[in-house]
Amino acid sequence: MPSVDHPPSAEPSGKAYWRSLDELADTPQFREFLHREFPAGAAEMLDSSERRNFLRIMGASLALAGFGLSGCRRWPKEQIAPFAHRPPGRVPGTTQFYATSMELAGVGSGLLITSYDGRPVKIEGNPQHPINRGATDALAQASVLEMYDPDRSRFVRRGGQRSTWGDFEAWAQPHFSALRNAGGSGLHILSEATASPSVRDMKARLSKAFPRATWHEYEPINNDHELAGSVLAFGSPYRAHHVFDRADVIVSLDSDFLLAHPAAVKNTREFVRGRRADNRDKSMNRLYVFESGYSLTGANADHRLAVRSADVAVVAARIAYRLAGQGNAKLSQALRQFTGASISTTLADSKVDELLDQLASDLAEHRGRSIVMAGPRQPAEVHLLVHLINEQLGNVGKTVSYTPLPDQPGHVASITSLAKDMAAGKVQTLVILGGNPVYNAPADLHFANRLESVKTTIHLSLYEDETSKQCTWHLLRAHYLESWGDTRAYDGTMTLGQPLIEPLFGGRSPIELLAIIIGDELTQGYDIVRRTFAQSTGVSDLGAAAGGWRRALHDGFLAGSADTSQSPTVRRDDLPGHADRLWSGWSPADGKSIELVFAQDTCVYDGRFANNGWLQELPDPLTKLTWDNAVLMSPSAAKRLRLDTGDMVRLRHGVREVEAAVCVMPGQHAGSVTLALGYGRRGIGRIAEGAGFDFYPLRTTDSMGFASGASIQRIDGSYELVQTQEHHAVDSMGGKGTQERLPTIFREANLDEYKEHPEFAKHRAHIVHRLSLWEEKTLQGAEYAWGMSIDLTACTGCSACVVACQAENNIPIVGKDQVKRGREMHWIRVDRYFKGNDPETPQAVAMQPVPCMHCENAPCEQVCPVAATIHDKDGLNVMVYNRCIGTRYCSNNCPYKVRRFNYFDYQKRVPVREGGLMHVKPSYYTRPQSDVDPLLQMQFNPEVTVRSRGVMEKCTYCVQRISAAKIKAKNEWVRTKPADRPGRVTVPDDEITTACAQACPAEAIVFGDLNDPASRVGALHKHPRTYAMLEEINTKPRTKYLAKLRNPAPALAPAAGSPSHVEAPPHG
Amino acid sequence: MGRYHYVFPRWSNALMPALCVMGTVVPLYVALVVAYGFSPQTTDVGYQPVQPVPFSHKIHAGELGIDCRYCHNTVEYAAKAAVPPTQTCFNCHTQIHKESDKLEPLWESYETGQPMQWVRVHDLPDFVYFNHAAHVTRGVSCVECHGRIDRMEVVYQHERLSMGWCLSCHRHPDTHLRDPKLVTDLGWSFDKQPDALARFGSQSEYHDFWRTHNSLNPSQDCSTCHR
Repeated sequence: MPSVDHPPSAEPSGKAYWRSLDELADTPQFREFLHREFPAGAAEMLDSSERRNFLRIMGASLALAGFGLSGCRRWPKEQIAPFAHRPPGRVPGTTQFYATSMELAGVGSGLLITSYDGRPVKIEGNPQHPINRGATDALAQASVLEMYDPDRSRFVRRGGQRSTWGDFEAWAQPHFSALRNAGGSGLHILSEATASPSVRDMKARLSKAFPRATWHEYEPINNDHELAGSVLAFGSPYRAHHVFDRADVIVSLDSDFLLAHPAAVKNTREFVRGRRADNRDKSMNRLYVFESGYSLTGANADHRLAVRSADVAVVAARIAYRLAGQGNAKLSQALRQFTGASISTTLADSKVDELLDQLASDLAEHRGRSIVMAGPRQPAEVHLLVHLINEQLGNVGKTVSYTPLPDQPGHVASITSLAKDMAAGKVQTLVILGGNPVYNAPADLHFANRLESVKTTIHLSLYEDETSKQCTWHLLRAHYLESWGDTRAYDGTMTLGQPLIEPLFGGRSPIELLAIIIGDELTQGYDIVRRTFAQSTGVSDLGAAAGGWRRALHDGFLAGSADTSQSPTVRRDDLPGHADRLWSGWSPADGKSIELVFAQDTCVYDGRFANNGWLQELPDPLTKLTWDNAVLMSPSAAKRLRLDTGDMVRLRHGVREVEAAVCVMPGQHAGSVTLALGYGRRGIGRIAEGAGFDFYPLRTTDSMGFASGASIQRIDGSYELVQTQEHHAVDSMGGKGTQERLPTIFREANLDEYKEHPEFAKHRAHIVHRLSLWEEKTLQGAEYAWGMSIDLTACTGCSACVVACQAENNIPIVGKDQVKRGREMHWIRVDRYFKGNDPETPQAVAMQPVPCMHCENAPCEQVCPVAATIHDKDGLNVMVYNRCIGTRYCSNNCPYKVRRFNYFDYQKRVPVREGGLMHVKPSYYTRPQSDVDPLLQMQFNPEVTVRSRGVMEKCTYCVQRISAAKIKAKNEWVRTKPADRPGRVTVPDDEITTACAQACPAEAIVFGDLNDPASRVGALHKHPRTYAMLEEINTKPRTKYLAKLRNPAPALAPAAGSPSHVEAPPHG
Repeated sequence: MGRYHYVFPRWSNALMPALCVMGTVVPLYVALVVAYGFSPQTTDVGYQPVQPVPFSHKIHAGELGIDCRYCHNTVEYAAKAAVPPTQTCFNCHTQIHKESDKLEPLWESYETGQPMQWVRVHDLPDFVYFNHAAHVTRGVSCVECHGRIDRMEVVYQHERLSMGWCLSCHRHPDTHLRDPKLVTDLGWSFDKQPDALARFGSQSEYHDFWRTHNSLNPSQDCSTCHR
């Protein structure tokens, strides 16, 4: 019988994969989601109670409609303003690329900026930079929007009153020369972490001019513990570098090295290279993770154990006992304390010992080919143990290396001493270079109160933030895209930064401010950076080519300037003492109190990106929360406290308390809650306003990583949290379809199975196509056949692709209210599923990016009444905005749910958190508030149409890039002499890529021409792991997936996710 | 008396045929007016805005014979045939007519560095992406879209530049193609080319040759111009 077969039934009982706890429990709310193409309310413009009001407004606007026609003019008169003197090499209307760098928390990354007619519009990784190698993370991708943020500070302010740089300089000159005469006593500088050689140089000049001045450094997300650990181990501070592609076994002790790590881009690339199992013996690395709540690294683990953050020390000690204890009786004795059954926690479970035994034997078998690493939250002693284990395993010099990190202060110690000096009245003038200590300094320092006692305070920042408002002078800072600068990458490579545009509001960089303070003869950023460069290269000549300046500026970095790695040895003298101290510092869970774990937020970092709409709307990779953070709590703890997602709680730690909403999160340890930092900011901008909860008031100098002994209490009230996880649920055949199909939608296998059946992915579904529902497209004979391959083994779920796509394709943000209604506009989403039957400890996490599949048999095209979505001959499923009349039938018929509808002119609205007529003026719904903000307009990619209200849109495979590449290739072909022309105009892989593929640090997305025999995507589509999502409905997608591989230890492995071959159920 | 009050007068019998005639003529008239009045032929062709400087293409490109690419020098490499910088004018005008009052705004731009504000004549909608280089390098002459610029004292829009007009050429490109080296010869015609006449039997053979030679198969996909 001709048919499209049903998907295989999954495991008979329970659910193999689930998106959310609601889905696992099959609650009415989730069922409602499945019944609708867009979530509830998405189809309605307003809540029903507001409909009457709405009709009234619509009546009025209809009556006025006739006056809108402005005569029979064509379209608005446009002016052409050519250069008076066109710079050489400049071609109007084409893109140019400049290498620059972005510094985050004292570590630089190498970027390549696309500039269009003098405006930076898109950020990519610098392909030559040793850390980035062409890839970026979501934060760097979004930083271009930060520069154009209309809420950025626009004025110098003195005591809140508008002032100018001229006024400041006039004031500063006598002020600082008086200070200089006093030897600089009373002058304190508080800088954010920076590796900039120029800042270092200015610092040296400052201490020469003001010998008694004090320099402090503070960063809320810092590496204090790592450095302290290396001092314990080696006697001086070192930074550890890991080479993941040389490691077979990786153990992460609360370290999120795939996301919350300064070299996460490099780590991801190398980690994934060690995982593809495409080498001859099909080997891949194995990742063990111990952490309290899901991190991105935990989501990619082969074995993950949720433990309290405090208990990670116990795990570290037990590993050390198994591996490093031998041969050192005293240390062994000290570490033995951690192994006793007296530990009455989850760790007493015999399964934990089984896991640790397996881990230890894995490590022992892969000496010199393993990595053990600890996260920044863990105390110094844990880092010490990690250094010891790596040394014992012979990893140092192979997978782990060290570079010295001199004159790096302890950040907490540094700001504590500043706070003490302020309290003692020793601080006369405080210059704050970037950073926002009033908001994010440890709570027990009472920084805001103490700042008031300082006579003169100067704050340089991008926004008029919490600190600016308390300072005498607020100075506006130039964005990194607006200023000259330099920095060092994670490996020490000197990375240069050049401005892409004049400062939009007249900001200045920290080095320029320091020049004013010191009274340096150089005042321009360029000159200062140039001087530092000359000093560091030892060439005193300032000519453009001297010392390789021009080369370095062009490349974006100084080749060969990375730090030389060393292999220091761990000092053995006091190892047992450190182990004892770790033991005495550890306290078991008491069952009543709860542990607070402070985490860097995936989207807003430490809060500095809080006013960035792209990042606020980016769903967190694990929680899928947008526009908010929350108290992440395990399902069992929530059940015990009778809490549900959205309920309010009061967290109390000592005398400090914070009220916040709870989000129930699978995989969270019951004894701890995860608190993402960086939200709850007030008064800095329209995007950040009211987003989430500020957990900094709970964070003190002795609990920067985590705080034990906190309490949690339910309070009245609830808060609406918006999670995108259930949006766009792939609903194929009623509610059950989703569940049943998931093993075929996300196909995975353990490495052993892959070795036995390399073609396992093909057999996960039993598919026979005997007859098509409609006449199939023949795309044979086309010049090009664009296709994409997404490797699920490689994808970590970091979501850089989502932001890259948003930047490239002028995708608007819609605001919390609209996301709640399922109207987010992201063209590519990352689906996240939990696996297993236990919400407390999911077996694994599945991450799956889903863009438009560009089906050859596209269901959307069959139902469009106006042919607004059709195929082009290269196989693109194109969306013609001008034809679209907004029926949304296409989205209804799209099995992948990748189409997005413009309910409003989102670009012309400031997104609102709360919608409805109770919160916003009616005009918000009926007409655009304004034209697009001219600043935001400058960020638009001019090669992509800005869509208006009422039209559908979706992934185009970056058709603008395809067109550009095709035109370039064809022009070159035509210019070639006929005799030398190749038979076919090809667009090779290195000439074309999509924004998502370009940004991806895991190299998971590959795009190209399937007709080109040399293309990577063509080869990948023939790879044994390749499968198409929902291929049983015969859509013939051009985007295909490579099935996920996991590598759990066979001895511990749970049965593979789904049976290797499932029979199709009988059907009529 | 009273009851005749409600009877229609006799002349009203003519109303029905009159209404019928009106009912057919008026909609037709309106449709025609709309179709004609709103067509690009009416609204766009002939658009001739006043420019800040009375630059004459007729003199420069026509009488003096300056090649189009002398000023619009990005046309072969970029999507846009850029309007030249002020600097280009003064490549010659520092020598010729340098005292002319008409050059006043140019001098100002030259000295202050402020751009000239020319008024755009050929203005495609923002959702259309036209690429000059793709056309010019394959032998589509400037004249095909811009008309005889070399005869225009003040530039005006010569063609409709509507989608149907674009597609008509994409569907039947042959007669619009020539040797790419000759695209800026606005007065070109096959009959005036002795070497072409010698080589090709007919004009259609000539066009066919260039179409095959440059492997031209113009796309009619939406994605070609709309992104």
